[in-house]
Amino acid sequence: MRNKKTIFLGDSDQQGREKAVYEALAAAVKAESLDAAVQLVRVAETGKAGQGVVVRILPENIDYVQVKPADAGRIIGESVKKNKKLEDLTPPAKVRQIKIVLRNCGRIDPERIEDYIAGEGYQALKRVLSERTREEWINEMKLSGLRGRGGGGFPTWMKWNFAYRMDSAEKYVICNGDEGDPGAYMDRSVLEGDPHAVVEGMMIAGYLVGAQKGIFYIRAEYPLAIKRIQIAIDQARSYGLLGERILGGDFSFDLQIRLGAGAFVCGEETALIASIEGKRGCPKPRPPYPTVSGLWGKPTVINNVETLANVAQIILRGGAWFAGIGSPSAKGTKVFALTGKVKRSGLIEVPMGITLRQIVFEIGGGVLKDKRIKAVQTGGPSGGVIPEHLLDTPVDYENLQKLGSIMGSGGMIVMDEDDCMVDISKFYLGFCVDESCGKCAPCRIGGVQMLGYLRRISEGKASMEDVDKMERICAAVQRASLCGLGQTAPNPVLSTLKYFRREYVEHIKERRCGAKKCASLLRFTIIQEACKRCGMCLRACPVAAITRSAANVYTIDPAVCVKCGKCYETCKFAAIKQE
Amino acid sequence: MNTQKLTAASLDQLAADCAAKVPKNLIRVGMSTCGIAAGAEAVLATLRRNVAARGLKIAVEQCGCAGMCYAEPLVEVAVEGMPTVTYGRVTPQIAGEIIEQHVERKLFVQDYIYTVKVDDEK
Repeated sequence: MRNKKTIFLGDSDQQGREKAVYEALAAAVKAESLDAAVQLVRVAETGKAGQGVVVRILPENIDYVQVKPADAGRIIGESVKKNKKLEDLTPPAKVRQIKIVLRNCGRIDPERIEDYIAGEGYQALKRVLSERTREEWINEMKLSGLRGRGGGGFPTWMKWNFAYRMDSAEKYVICNGDEGDPGAYMDRSVLEGDPHAVVEGMMIAGYLVGAQKGIFYIRAEYPLAIKRIQIAIDQARSYGLLGERILGGDFSFDLQIRLGAGAFVCGEETALIASIEGKRGCPKPRPPYPTVSGLWGKPTVINNVETLANVAQIILRGGAWFAGIGSPSAKGTKVFALTGKVKRSGLIEVPMGITLRQIVFEIGGGVLKDKRIKAVQTGGPSGGVIPEHLLDTPVDYENLQKLGSIMGSGGMIVMDEDDCMVDISKFYLGFCVDESCGKCAPCRIGGVQMLGYLRRISEGKASMEDVDKMERICAAVQRASLCGLGQTAPNPVLSTLKYFRREYVEHIKERRCGAKKCASLLRFTIIQEACKRCGMCLRACPVAAITRSAANVYTIDPAVCVKCGKCYETCKFAAIKQE
Repeated sequence: MNTQKLTAASLDQLAADCAAKVPKNLIRVGMSTCGIAAGAEAVLATLRRNVAARGLKIAVEQCGCAGMCYAEPLVEVAVEGMPTVTYGRVTPQIAGEIIEQHVERKLFVQDYIYTVKVDDEK
């Protein structure tokens, strides 16, 4: 058993081509009488894309790509039997994920502190408490170049330094777990998969700035994250890692959880603080910044979940190590929730500075059904779309901002040719209008006005003048809103206008939605030559818009039709035309 | 629950003890929101039931999201002497096969492996 080899093989594009290679390899194994020494395993996925059939041989860890059935004899006869590497089948180096934040996610039981401790857990806390001064550790954070992962990208060390320098007996550390961007769930997964890493990050932040209390602000829609953080806090307390005189020293610190009630604006730090204080979740003008006057008027550091999950690793491996990863202006890695029309949706952690194209095609495996990619949306409702021709841009805070989007907290939605850009901007703006707290007029009134224009465009009732008006309102809302929610709410509109103006014009002038998403602009008709008179569409129609004449001819009444598309989906003979 | 208060020295001792206790034979099921939504609870229950019924020496534990949400439920299987692999889109039926084939007969189950762990990816 000890010398047994395993050959894993799979099709990197899920086209089933591995079956023929499997047969050929099986025959070759038999020919060489290696049946007992080798197991052939077909895998569901190879982690590669566009590289044909991929073969991996263990324990040697040799990868071959673009393998054809004809290569089977060589692979078994030379590579497996004689350990001779086949250079022509060896793949080029590919983009790798680097797991710092997600290092424990999927690797430990999040409900057992012992699993975390076994893998250098709380060692960073121990070092911070026992070695060097607070200034030196804050300087280490400066060296790392870590910037806030919640979207703003503010240097973490600077926040800590401001709070550290404040002369106050009472200070607070808050973990912002109010992740609200549609499609983003990085923070949820970190809280659920590695809660102690965030707890340790908060304790280190607490010690370095001189706080005695930390608060987890987690949205109530994340019950499992809340449960696991509570378990983590209880376990840490039972080991004396929270409470009085931690690790036998003179540092005392405790944590508690506050639940967010689902208001998007409470992810903004001043609104979040108001919410913890039991007030309405409305932002306040800054300055004063929370590091000067935050929770209960005391100096407060607010960091995002992902930011805090980086801290222990930076302490253990050093700021220089962290700064060695990523791009010149953005250090380290970023976790993205890759979703939308992509083959492998999920969480990825990649070094900053990687391009969007690499993310979508090399890690994400490409677009679903191999359709054409139209754009990638980043930053959620505060972000924008990045069109196909700009996908080679390296991802960092400044680059995305230059393109009219933002890094945001890490939502990344892939859009293909079937997505309508007017519809997309209507969705995101609608989200911001719903979530506006109503305190300042630009956001409260401007948002509704912009949404009105977008609705009219999507219904084919707008003129080109309306686009100009909408753009003017966008500029006003951006400039005059009180907080980030309003200031960034026009981003989806402006970026789609910038890169996909043609689609707006098409909606307005031709009253046509190319992606067939805007229901008001759709028309369903029955192609009489193709119709088999089965009556399925008539039964499927929820509003009785389809009628059958005495001569057995089916027609759709456009005045009654609600454009739900049920008839189109139901018809087995493609006799319904959608245009 | 533990009531021992850790000091700097006993933290290191605990870390060493915990690391030594990590089982060589181990099945992990992704039990974050994404996994649970895809049916991981039934898979975990099936695995535990099978391991107990057959008296197998393999631990079955839960873990967080490994990132491959499209392939949930994910089940990582580490059996001594075999490469560690992660099965994806596991149903209770596949979970039964994993126990029978992979754990008992030391043969990988065909067509459900999503990742193969190799040393340089640790």
